[in-house]
Amino acid sequence: MYGIYLTIARYKDHFLFVTALILSLFLLLNNQNSNMSVLRSKSAELVSFISSPVTFVKSLMHLEKKSEILRKENLLLTLKVESMLNLKNENNELLQMLDFKEKTTLSMKPARVVNKGLQPNLLSMVINAGTNNNIQKNQPVLTSLGVIGKTVEVGGNASIVQLITDANYRLSVRILPSGATGILRFLRDGFGQIREVQKNVKIKIGDKVVTSGFSDIYPSGLPVGSVSGVLDDRGSFQKVVNIKLPNDITSFQNVFVIVEKKDEMD
Amino acid sequence: MKWTDFFYPFIFVWIIQIFFVDVLSIGTVRPDFPFILILYLSVKHGRFTGILSGFTFGLLIDLSGSAMFFGLSSLTYTVIGYISGNLKGVYNKISPILFTTSWVLMVFFHFFIFCIVHYQELWAFDNILFWGKWFGTSIYTLSFLILFQFLFPLNKSTNAKS
Repeated sequence: MYGIYLTIARYKDHFLFVTALILSLFLLLNNQNSNMSVLRSKSAELVSFISSPVTFVKSLMHLEKKSEILRKENLLLTLKVESMLNLKNENNELLQMLDFKEKTTLSMKPARVVNKGLQPNLLSMVINAGTNNNIQKNQPVLTSLGVIGKTVEVGGNASIVQLITDANYRLSVRILPSGATGILRFLRDGFGQIREVQKNVKIKIGDKVVTSGFSDIYPSGLPVGSVSGVLDDRGSFQKVVNIKLPNDITSFQNVFVIVEKKDEMD
Repeated sequence: MKWTDFFYPFIFVWIIQIFFVDVLSIGTVRPDFPFILILYLSVKHGRFTGILSGFTFGLLIDLSGSAMFFGLSSLTYTVIGYISGNLKGVYNKISPILFTTSWVLMVFFHFFIFCIVHYQELWAFDNILFWGKWFGTSIYTLSFLILFQFLFPLNKSTNAKS
């Protein structure tokens, strides 16, 4: 027994290294464990609480600038609403004539970004809304400009959001007006890439990209970005489309979580 | 060696990382100050302290952020604590170029482990993008580490009494 103790004491560095390595690997391989989810959601809540003073100061710094932008947007939107109300009436009449259903409605919850993690790459963030706000795992997160990610862990008052900038993030999208579908992934700062797009469709720079609705998470029609380049390789059966993502991932403070998804099948 | 020698730098770096890392980020790439602290602690106090502080700080980082791979930080910092602990007290015994090359390589190795777990799919399907992400992340933290050399040279730490 004393011999074992002496061996451990002599090679304590190596023993500690192996123990720490095994523990780290155990944690890493049990990421999907439910107990681990509870731990992560609780820690996200704690970080949300600690970060709240800094978030408050940051939001104050942006307040004046935001107010000016909002005033301008408000004026533009008021003008747009007027014309859209007329268009809606006209549209309703046409829909009645064609016996179509009312378009999809979405229920959203606003949230504030409280922390963007401490790791060397920005791949996820913490928002100050959770199960107490009816938010659940795997719900879409977006800003007024477009989709930015989905919830991956949810606590009482905080949630972890996987960002579109994560290389492991995938999103089924549709390119308008051609209607071509493909799988989006993050390429580099401000740009994404759509793969598995049919080769025979016509796609132009500036075409809108929206969610396809094929996913269980994302309803159809959410804005994602606009086409910035089309790569048409002769040797391939598919096109590769580069898109410009509208959100600056490093700067936004407020997001919306879609908590209820209704589509035409409901 | 007092516990406060670790506690205060830990808290200081943790606060810096949690509050100022966004200001210093370039796109999605951010500096890794905890890595720099672990490197200094290991070089100054040796492998045992390096592993212990690396594992503890890694857990703290994973718990206090929004880590997609929980346990990855503790794994990478533990490995770095172990390897860089070997540099304790060797500055006068080996060539300065070898000493400097060692810790530079450690930066690249640390981020290689980080990237190979985070971007395993890129590793398989888009090698160029994978190497780009690895190099970008490594070089950004390395530039901060080089800046630190003017204030607190690592070779002074390695010969300090623990």
